[in-house]
Amino acid sequence: MTSSSRKPETAAITVGKPADFAEFWAETLRAAEAVDPAPELIHRPGLSTDRVTVGELSYTSFGGVRVTSWYTAPAAPAPPGGYPVVLHIPGYISEPAVMKSWAERGYVAIDLAPRGKLRANAVVDPGFPGLLVDHITDRFAYTYRGFYVDVVRALDVVAGLPGVDAERIGVWGSSQGGGLGIISAALRPERVRCVVAGAPYLCGIMAATRLTRSYPYEEITEYLRLDPGHEAKITETVSYFDGLNFAADVRAPILVYLGMEDDVCPPETGFSVYRLLPEPKTLLTYERCAHHAGLRWAVPEVEKFLDGFLEPSGAIA
Amino acid sequence: MTFDDYWAALDAELAAVPARPTLTPVPARSTEDYSGYEVRLTGLGGHRLFGYFSVPAGPGPFPGLLELPRHGSVNNPPHHVERLRYVVFTLMHRGQRRADEPFAAAYPGLFALGVTDPATYVYRAVVADCLRGAEFLLGRPERDRERAGVVGDDLALLTAARRPGFTAVQVTGPLLHNAMRLRHTTGEYPLEELNDHLRRHPGDEERVLGTLAYFEPARHAAAITAPTLVALPGVPPRPWTDELLGALGEQLDTYQRTDEDAIDTRALDAWLAGRLGVEPKARFVS
Repeated sequence: MTSSSRKPETAAITVGKPADFAEFWAETLRAAEAVDPAPELIHRPGLSTDRVTVGELSYTSFGGVRVTSWYTAPAAPAPPGGYPVVLHIPGYISEPAVMKSWAERGYVAIDLAPRGKLRANAVVDPGFPGLLVDHITDRFAYTYRGFYVDVVRALDVVAGLPGVDAERIGVWGSSQGGGLGIISAALRPERVRCVVAGAPYLCGIMAATRLTRSYPYEEITEYLRLDPGHEAKITETVSYFDGLNFAADVRAPILVYLGMEDDVCPPETGFSVYRLLPEPKTLLTYERCAHHAGLRWAVPEVEKFLDGFLEPSGAIA
Repeated sequence: MTFDDYWAALDAELAAVPARPTLTPVPARSTEDYSGYEVRLTGLGGHRLFGYFSVPAGPGPFPGLLELPRHGSVNNPPHHVERLRYVVFTLMHRGQRRADEPFAAAYPGLFALGVTDPATYVYRAVVADCLRGAEFLLGRPERDRERAGVVGDDLALLTAARRPGFTAVQVTGPLLHNAMRLRHTTGEYPLEELNDHLRRHPGDEERVLGTLAYFEPARHAAAITAPTLVALPGVPPRPWTDELLGALGEQLDTYQRTDEDAIDTRALDAWLAGRLGVEPKARFVS
């Protein structure tokens, strides 16, 4: 079976947008903003080199949950105006990376650990598998609500860090990081200079469960195997969290890359969210590629795209 | 301690620990095509390990498949297309999610934990966990006694070398192999953990080398009696040494990745399916 018989380019996936979608997210962000993020950057000399400073960046997010991300920066003093930032969002089963190579390219590079990831799971730990369906029948309690906010608040926190140019923040991720790149750019358009979204997850969520047997969407299939009567409720909840309902609010230039035989995040969902994104936007597709979405060829394009908008002052010699 | 004595001691220590497996049916992961279970079993030091176990429906017998965990905290349950064809066990070694009490692994942090002494290196216990997983799968009555595969990074080589019941071995990439040399080629974790350690403790280099020598897959490979596929990266450098590939001898088969991962996944699936006597299946569904 290949993508040629599925025609993902023309597949039309739609997600109903709840009437109170904007109100739900305004209320959510108000609640988040009422919490002092109390950011703290702890230097980790054991992981640092003579060229890269490594630290852990902690802040308090929605519901008072404290989360901790990896921070890397060039060891040299920041230039006037500060360093540009690449904010990376990890995938569903990935742990955040220590992005030394990006710091060596002249960025403050931060890989987020939203709630549930290691070092951010002391209070909220949905387990894996499990995050996608954790409290999924109540949008107010859905674990992804706080998880999304953890990414949004990271943008606020990072913009206030010393040595950072708050006008040059780029967001990048693949899979969950791709979907949340789109979503966070929609929720904080004033913070995000550019976005790269690879194989975006959390887009066309319910449709995806019918297009794949791979995790994480398989979690919903398993849930409904036991509780088929919850389908309407789950469909309602995830409509508040679906990237298709955020895409039109993205204001930053965006690069999207897709694998045309992606069994994890079906390419139909990637095309559907891409169509809803405003210009300027760029789409790269890779035949014969699955969830890696042509990473070998996409990464040089990602670097070029981010460098073009964020203008790092140059790689460390 | 000699290489053989080191591993014989580990085998003896593990053998003295009853596995005491418990299987809990998981209706959500059970269909008309297979039955899913969650497994807990005891490893070295009494640590309770975790795994996902699935058995195809029907008379069988079905080949067994041990999926060793990737280097990372979280691993998915076995995929639908594996559950359809194999009696499959997906192990979480100590420290990984669901096997993280009382010890939770840090990432980064696990790879170099205790690396200055082979007696304390965490991978002594991690390898033992893989061996325990192999014992569990190979001992299951649902499995065809003549067919069993193991897949994973180079922990699969150590596992197959020390538990000879496997009839196919598939190695997707390096972890422990040639680590002290490969660490110079990257700033990425987990190898960067060795760089971090030696930056702080440069005098430890010989001790680290000595520890990792016990775990070098090239030293284990000659004991493997099953056909073994080693995946080669799509772009240089090739991580596998001639010593390792040579040690596999006639068992060696290689696959050159294209980095078009739908192609690569299908090719690796087809190789394993061919060795274990089942039909290839693609994950990208119609």
